[in-house]
Amino acid sequence: MRILIVEDEPTLQAQLAEGLGAAAYAVDTAGNGIDGHYLGDTEPYDAVVLDLGLPQMDGITVLRKWRASGRTMPVLILTARDGWHEKVAGIDAGADDYLTKPFHMEELLARLRALIRRTVGHASAEISCGPLTLDTRNSRATVDGQSLTLTSHEYRVLAYLMHHRDEVISRSDLVEHIYAQDFDRDSNTVEVFIARLRKKLPPGLIETVRGLGYRLTTLQ
Amino acid sequence: MKHLASHGSLRRSLRLRLLAGTLFWIAASIIAAGWGLGNLFQRHVEAQFLAELKTHLDQLTAQLTLDEKGRPMLALPLSDPRLSHPYSGCYWQVDEIRDSAPAASGLLRSRSLWDDVLTAPPDTPVNGEIHQHRIVGPKGKVLGMIERSVRIDDTPDGKPRSFRLIAAADEALMSAPVARFSGALWLALGVLGIGLVVAALVQVFVGLAPLRKLHAALGKVRSGETPQLDGDFPAEIMPLVDEFNTVLAQNAEVVERARTQAGNLAHALKTSLSVLANAANANISASPQQNELARLVIDQVGTARKQVDYHLTRAQAAATTRMPGTRTPLLPVIDGLVRAMQRIHAERALELRVVPMPETLAFRGDAHDLQEMLGNLLDNACKWAAQRIDVSAGTEGGKLHIFIDDDGAGLAAEQRDAVIQRGVRADEQVPGSGLGLAIVDDLARLYGGELTLEGSPLGGMRSALTLPAPLR
Repeated sequence: MRILIVEDEPTLQAQLAEGLGAAAYAVDTAGNGIDGHYLGDTEPYDAVVLDLGLPQMDGITVLRKWRASGRTMPVLILTARDGWHEKVAGIDAGADDYLTKPFHMEELLARLRALIRRTVGHASAEISCGPLTLDTRNSRATVDGQSLTLTSHEYRVLAYLMHHRDEVISRSDLVEHIYAQDFDRDSNTVEVFIARLRKKLPPGLIETVRGLGYRLTTLQ
Repeated sequence: MKHLASHGSLRRSLRLRLLAGTLFWIAASIIAAGWGLGNLFQRHVEAQFLAELKTHLDQLTAQLTLDEKGRPMLALPLSDPRLSHPYSGCYWQVDEIRDSAPAASGLLRSRSLWDDVLTAPPDTPVNGEIHQHRIVGPKGKVLGMIERSVRIDDTPDGKPRSFRLIAAADEALMSAPVARFSGALWLALGVLGIGLVVAALVQVFVGLAPLRKLHAALGKVRSGETPQLDGDFPAEIMPLVDEFNTVLAQNAEVVERARTQAGNLAHALKTSLSVLANAANANISASPQQNELARLVIDQVGTARKQVDYHLTRAQAAATTRMPGTRTPLLPVIDGLVRAMQRIHAERALELRVVPMPETLAFRGDAHDLQEMLGNLLDNACKWAAQRIDVSAGTEGGKLHIFIDDDGAGLAAEQRDAVIQRGVRADEQVPGSGLGLAIVDDLARLYGGELTLEGSPLGGMRSALTLPAPLR
């Protein structure tokens, strides 16, 4: 899962990036409205954390422009402006949730998880596929109750496939959703992660759809 | 008292003042004109009367002669026919003067005198002078009379003789036209006066109509129907209207700027607080023991945040509750908040229902403050509801009543007041009790309304908010 953070206060931006990184998200950051808008407009994020008081272009404008050009990723507004008129303006501009500063990192993570789940249509914090269960609250995967030991990248690949269960996911999609923008991408490494995951998971759970990509499914 | 009151109303009412002034001047001018014109006419008639008498006297002087026996006679009768018509009012008479004293009255008389003789006061004008008198003539009429003395040297017996020549006329000949003229004059002036009074009334009412319109426009601003004075006004009033609108706009601008700055300050503070809180949280996660400082920071950050929120909201509301001309339609605010709630509480699959209400329902006050109050109440309801939340509203007696019902667990009656924490200052609040309801109650009170918590027909809690409605 890949997240964009648009926040102009450098320390807070770093704290957010660290907190989200620790929760196994691939994180991109932008420090002003114009950069933030560009990234959100061109990269496929699974969610965006957006501050409203941004230099160069304010957050509401950034959000409106995204929605006007058909970008539908969930957006969580994180701002110190917590008047209800500002919340209503934010929601009406197309935000999906609103969190006011100061905030608890746990709450932000919980809201983001919920947003991402809702976007792909899962009602619960736990996503299951056969014997495999993914608990998004603690970034843990279990098979028949037995906990799996996964690296951060393996978890990201598995989480993305689980969120899009039964869908065919192309290799480039995976690359775009597990790496941050500045990461040195190599689509071959995706094959390596898939191979490692297959070893740790019950056989047959991850299918290779020739020429298209991968699918996590219990359907045959 | 009554006198004082009427005096006061005259002083206060522009209309009465204008009317009183105009009526006074109309009356004064008409009386002066009537008096002046009447006088002028009377003098003119008097002059004419005298001129006529003088003509008679001159003719008499010219025609007077003596016959061969020395009796005075007229060479030709005088031309005015009235002088031969009995008691016509125009008379002449010739008396003889002997030894400088009148004697032999009525030696010669106009036919109009018939058997009467004019009795002139004793007087002997020096030769050539004309004297004027008022006498009582035939039938007791008052006559205007002029006389002169004439000496005739060319007499048959050679002794010069003096005569007193008198021309007289009834003063009624003069006063009748004056009376007729006065009657016509006062009638005409009366008609003119009535016309002027009607014109003055119309002028005052039409002329002051813009002031009534201004009053109505001001009323609309006060009731919050319009933010500015609307409408076309005459050039004399327009500057006042423009100035007033400028003041209103400046007022609104100052409030808006103060708000923005307070908002900016809060934003800057809270961003820093976020950094502090996050660092402290990270510290606690890293070493769960030995981190009293981190816990203190988190604690204080929470308190600071509430303080900032509380005072920011209060300051903003205090600035706007005194602003005239603010009126916020209720329904759009509720709709916006319901949209926001459905997103923010999307996890809970709540059933938020707005009971149909008239679109004309409005709050006499600022939109942000209304959103703040309803937002907090709705947010609470969404947190505590099992599934269903109803929003309803209505007006009664100039008050706007808004009810937010939920089907949650509700609160025991004795807990309700404690939740609102009436009159308790923010810094005395129990940590974690939540300032939401206290802020709502505070805002409502700033507007002269109130918040009460009751049991809801839905089974949970009802938040009843009473606020001022626009005047009209």
